[in-house]
Amino acid sequence: MTASLDLTFTLNGDAKTARVAPNTLLIDFLREACQLRGTKRSCDMQICGACTVLVDDRPVSSCTTLAADIDGAVVTTIEGLGGPDGLDPVQQAFLDHNALQCGFCTPGFILSVKALLHANPAPSHEEIVEHLNGNLCRCTGYHKIIDAVESLVRP
Amino acid sequence: MPPDVPTTGNERLDKVTGRAVFASDITVPGMAHGRILRSPLPHAKIVKMDCTAALALEGVVAILSGEDLADLAQPYWGLYFNDRPVIAHEKVRYVGEPVALVVAETPAVAQAALDRIDIDYTPLPFIDNAGDAIAPDAPRLHGNLEAIADFYFKGQARPVSGTNIYQLYAISTGDTAAAEAEAARVFEHTYTFPGIAHYAMEPHCVTAAFEGDRLTVWSGAQSPTAVQKVLSRVFGLAYANVQVIVPHIGGGFGGKASVKIDPLVAAASWKAGRPVRVALTQEEAMLTCRRLGASITLTTAVDANGIILSKRAAILLDGGAYADTGPAVTVKAANRVIGPYAIKNLEIESRAAYTNTVPGSAFRSIGGPQAVWATESQMDEIAAALEIDPVDFRHRNLLPRGGKVLDSLRPLDADISEMMGHAGQAITSMGDRPAAGVAVAATDPGVLPLGGALVRLLADGSVLVMANSADIGQGVRDVLRNVAAKTLNQDPAAIRVAGPDTATTPFDWGTGASRSTVIIGLAVEDAAQDAREQLLALAASALEIPLDGVQLVPGGVATGSETIPFDRLFHTAFGIDSGEIVGRAMVTPSRKGSDFATSPLFWETAVGACDIALDEDTGALAVTRFAGVADIGHAINPAGAEGQEEGAAIQGLGHALYEHLAFIDGQPVNATPIGYRIPAAGDVPHAARTVLIENADGPGPMGAKGMGEGGLLPVAPAIANALARRYGIRLRDLPMTPEKIWRALRERDSDVP
Repeated sequence: MTASLDLTFTLNGDAKTARVAPNTLLIDFLREACQLRGTKRSCDMQICGACTVLVDDRPVSSCTTLAADIDGAVVTTIEGLGGPDGLDPVQQAFLDHNALQCGFCTPGFILSVKALLHANPAPSHEEIVEHLNGNLCRCTGYHKIIDAVESLVRP
Repeated sequence: MPPDVPTTGNERLDKVTGRAVFASDITVPGMAHGRILRSPLPHAKIVKMDCTAALALEGVVAILSGEDLADLAQPYWGLYFNDRPVIAHEKVRYVGEPVALVVAETPAVAQAALDRIDIDYTPLPFIDNAGDAIAPDAPRLHGNLEAIADFYFKGQARPVSGTNIYQLYAISTGDTAAAEAEAARVFEHTYTFPGIAHYAMEPHCVTAAFEGDRLTVWSGAQSPTAVQKVLSRVFGLAYANVQVIVPHIGGGFGGKASVKIDPLVAAASWKAGRPVRVALTQEEAMLTCRRLGASITLTTAVDANGIILSKRAAILLDGGAYADTGPAVTVKAANRVIGPYAIKNLEIESRAAYTNTVPGSAFRSIGGPQAVWATESQMDEIAAALEIDPVDFRHRNLLPRGGKVLDSLRPLDADISEMMGHAGQAITSMGDRPAAGVAVAATDPGVLPLGGALVRLLADGSVLVMANSADIGQGVRDVLRNVAAKTLNQDPAAIRVAGPDTATTPFDWGTGASRSTVIIGLAVEDAAQDAREQLLALAASALEIPLDGVQLVPGGVATGSETIPFDRLFHTAFGIDSGEIVGRAMVTPSRKGSDFATSPLFWETAVGACDIALDEDTGALAVTRFAGVADIGHAINPAGAEGQEEGAAIQGLGHALYEHLAFIDGQPVNATPIGYRIPAAGDVPHAARTVLIENADGPGPMGAKGMGEGGLLPVAPAIANALARRYGIRLRDLPMTPEKIWRALRERDSDVP
């Protein structure tokens, strides 16, 4: 496969251009070409949400999305949220509520919650739980993750 | 005011910002990528393997196969038997067994090359369940193997010669026949438990780099020194030449304990002459290891007052194709099937057999969930038959604190009765009805008291704690940080706990069996105490004051009103403002001040209670309220401890309702993230509470006991007991799927006379 595509997009606030093979997955493009390893690979089949990134503020499984599909889009990875000195409120809530253990699913969860609150700033408890069903965590048992999101909605 | 101490950051901050480096994030210069060709057959001879076309593909570097094994120092490895080839050699023993590993410049090229390997098999008769494996005419998976003694766990396996049984363990006390003869009632039931996938969110990933006779491995390993030991045997290298580095690990649960794909990946690097990275997919992780399935028949005799007179247990475990740590699982299943009850007459036989399925291995509380599923289900069945309240029936038979499960084991160090009370109160605090189902557990963690630590106090006042304890999410680094901070009287923010690295960090047996808080916690406490004593002596000498005139304060030492920062102290003592104090400690079975002669070092106890809601039209079950109680001695890291209990309970919910790694005709039929369902956010109990009992009576720092496994144990039997009590159906086969529940409801309704 020698053909390639030219992409213009915004990544974590910066305007970017890139040339990719048409079959490049977004997860590989982010992790390898962009060296953004906070996006995690787990199920490879859009089940677990560990690879979630935001494309135009919507949550997307980067394991089953082509890099070509981000042409013209605004992409946010975990690295595009706050750094250690200025955490995003969602990151802070996860820390405050101990909503992480091994941390492998955490970037995906945080971005998924960002997308939820963007689309629906005041979700009900049921809407929070329903939304989080798209992300799997094998460590925490979810209660503290749900608590973290609740704290952002109903402080 | 003490001087400012530099902060070290912490790994939780790294995790929420995406900066934490996990095993699968490691890259090494010159690294190539490996993909694995796996057996499609459960049992077969490899009659032909031709890699010519695959090797001809541009970008392919090398292919490792069974033919290469002859050049290895020890081509077969294991923890109890050297039963496992580094890569399949002449035959395959389960679907998914690695038969070739292609190393290429990119994962895509390696994957493409797999299709070009020409391989022919001759199928052999296979067995895909333990019942068939012990039949007299069953095909054999292995020849008679020599057991390795005291290699990883203490002791050795006792295989039954000429059979597939790789471990036979028995417990016999008193006279069960006499007890059954005089009993008012004797109950016999069989309970079954499936194989279960660990499903850590990060599938196994190992990067290995040979440089001459030195091997470096980056692995998401719970037991880095076990990996080091096995690799040294396989390749004939000195321990000092095998360096195992453990980055962050995306979940373990035992699935990354002992040794998994490390020898395979290291052999690929050895063959390729390049660093090689192999990142399994989640599907491949499910073909790498699993919890052992079990069938457990309990025969329990009781007198007219509901006192248990005797118990017989026949435990048969499905061990899969290679023994791994299955022999230890077999022992623990036997010990853990007794429960925290006073039973004078016991006859327990626990066996594990090879089958042509994914190798069984350690998984959070080895043998525990299988054993407790059986025992705690039967407790309620007996109570119901005797028309005794199940909580009352347990009270009549519970061991008191200090009672003995077995004479050979340490007396029980918890009050299960009190714990049941807490569970009941927690349930009624969340809703009106009392608990519908209750279950209890007491398990004996296989804690080997052998592990060390270094505590290095650096000139700027920051502290490095170095231990080979792997943080798999359980929060051990926070535990060790808190122990060092308290012992050295330093700000926890000044303390960094380094990740495991066998080249720089003292030996530790490994992360499992709820041992790290106690063993490595004590090692860090001892090492910090050693550093403290050295510091105070140095200060007294350098400042020419009596030893009792100096004390440690955050960032330095204090003499009366003056605080001297560490760099100034070092400057005075050493002539430059550099240097460090190295505190060291190694916890051994003969540690002074500890009673490590008797097993277990502490009991891991759990009580679970629940209420459920059932849609009788569909069999769909929801846990509406759940309470878990654990006696953990002291919570050094309270948030972490609570998180461990909650997470264990939800894993237990998965075991109870959803999870079953299934085989049909030797083929894994749901070993994919689509086919295998673990709990999601919408599945968790609507209301849940965790009660931690802290009496500071454990053997660890500040009276801590180990914890983190127990919370899983009571969940499945508590739910089954709730189904029986509220809905009149008794399920004895996990998982309790809607279909099984629905069928049981139909059967219940058709039984109406």
